[in-house]
Amino acid sequence: MTTTTAQSGLSRARKGIAPSGTGSGNRKSKLSAQTTRTFFWLLLPSVVLLVLIHGYPLIYAAVQATHDGDLLQTGDFVAGDNFAKVLSSPAFWKAAQFTLMFTIVGVFGSWLVGLGLALLLRTKIPAGGTFKVLLLLPWVVPIVVSSTAWNWLVATPDSLIPSLFRNLGLGTPLFLADPNLAAITVMVFKVWVSFPFMMMMISAALASVDSTVYEAASMDGATRWQQFSQITLPLIARSTYISWILMTIFCVNDFPTIYLLTGGGPVNATTSLVVLAYRTVFQDFATGPGVAIAFLMTMTLVVISVLLYRQIRKSSVE
Amino acid sequence: MSAVVHAHPQSGPVLGVAGPAKNKRVLSEAGDRGRWWRFTAILLITAIVLVPIMVTVVLAFTPGPNSTATGLTFENLASVFSGTLAATWLQNSLITTLSTVLVSVAVAAPAGYVLSRGRSKAVSGYSLLLFVMQSLPIITSVVPLFILFAAMGLVDNLLGITIIYVGSTMTVATWMMAAYFDSIPISLEEASWIDGCSVFGSFTKVVLRNSLPGILSTAIFAFLLAWNDYLVAIVFLRSNEIFTLPMGVQSFFQQNATDWTSVMALAVVMMLPPIIVFATLNKYFSVGGIGGSLAGR
Repeated sequence: MTTTTAQSGLSRARKGIAPSGTGSGNRKSKLSAQTTRTFFWLLLPSVVLLVLIHGYPLIYAAVQATHDGDLLQTGDFVAGDNFAKVLSSPAFWKAAQFTLMFTIVGVFGSWLVGLGLALLLRTKIPAGGTFKVLLLLPWVVPIVVSSTAWNWLVATPDSLIPSLFRNLGLGTPLFLADPNLAAITVMVFKVWVSFPFMMMMISAALASVDSTVYEAASMDGATRWQQFSQITLPLIARSTYISWILMTIFCVNDFPTIYLLTGGGPVNATTSLVVLAYRTVFQDFATGPGVAIAFLMTMTLVVISVLLYRQIRKSSVE
Repeated sequence: MSAVVHAHPQSGPVLGVAGPAKNKRVLSEAGDRGRWWRFTAILLITAIVLVPIMVTVVLAFTPGPNSTATGLTFENLASVFSGTLAATWLQNSLITTLSTVLVSVAVAAPAGYVLSRGRSKAVSGYSLLLFVMQSLPIITSVVPLFILFAAMGLVDNLLGITIIYVGSTMTVATWMMAAYFDSIPISLEEASWIDGCSVFGSFTKVVLRNSLPGILSTAIFAFLLAWNDYLVAIVFLRSNEIFTLPMGVQSFFQQNATDWTSVMALAVVMMLPPIIVFATLNKYFSVGGIGGSLAGR
């Protein structure tokens, strides 16, 4: 109904503007003054929330990071002491190292799985739509639920998967108790949670590719690999790029995937920077150093995201 | 190499014009084989991927160790609802999530409209600011907000976490709304302005009324984020009767780690709403929200 009114308005406008060009100019300037005022009011709630939930805490965090004290009261000004303490602690660098590994595996692991599935699902197969929906479930199901299920599957030596390994004569892997294995398990869990995101991003990009391009290529004798690397990859490059950026941010900031599966253990083997910051503030009650960790991450991410935003904007203009 | 050709059966006729009919049949037979091979591969992968989810559902309806029931049973669900505060947690989760969705859309839609239509430096600066804010770890704002909210009595309070959810969904929601508004031609609005409509009027009467898909996908995004959150809940919620489901499930799991059937029954209660939302509004579901809006803009 609205569309029809708008459309009739549109046709009236076309008729109306043509004969009387002088009136519309006047109207335009009146509109733009009014527009600015309207834009201001439309934006206001958003700005207020941004300042309250993001702006204020960021400034307060800067204060806390440079002060002594705990959650209840801010202590003396200690300048860069907290940062120095954090940067000289081995726990911080260990967590940074794990975060880096976790992010690399999370981004590229989920991308590879998502790409493979998107390519498989691209062609018409029976019940293809159903598979597409089912494969999104790991992303839709709450982490609290899926981590519980993964716990049931791997946590103890008698869980399903370790028993399976034992019965196959592969020993009894302690997926969450062995430090190295726990790190791998958390990363596999992250890939399991994240690949649907990649799959959807790539599927959307693939859907917009004209299939006649491939017909032309294969007629010209291009091999499948050539078609993939010369046609498919360039066409999904922009989506891929954006999905890498976002997944990097998701992985670096991830808390529940790690915390709910391993709690950061065993012996801190799976402690990421966010988990470390959380524990430092809420379990060791060392607010200053904890916020300093979060603040270092924040600064890094601000720089990275401003650069990447520019890149995205640039690539969308091209 | 030829596989790609028959990978698009609908484009067969186009090729068929050029090639002899016999050649086409050979191609489509090979295509069928390829298709069944793909089908089997996808079936296997899907089955493996869904193991954790199937395990959850099966255990939830399996009789517990002290049960006399055989086959599948609703005992676990019933006992979870009678023996824990599951109903309260569910209610708390629904209240916070639905409020988050409503307020988040109500804030993001007008802001997204300005982002979409505004051409000034201030507007594009705000757009950048939103992008930067959404990429920051929530843990940074959680500690200062905890102190602020403690002073205001908003710790261990559903209103408190709702405010934070709205704040953290708002950035991406604004982007998503802006991306959708971009697809609505400005000529529709121009027409209504000539009819004497104000900018605000054309926003509500023309743009918003034509934006249901955009609003729904933004709403789904906010829903999933608020429903699934754990970090904010674990910091801000303290008492059992204020818990949302993630906290409820987690605390119950920690106290009854061996009572798997009950734990999974509660887990099913928690995963059902997002799955229902996802199943019914599947076509509006744009994964990651900001991913789609970034790719679209």
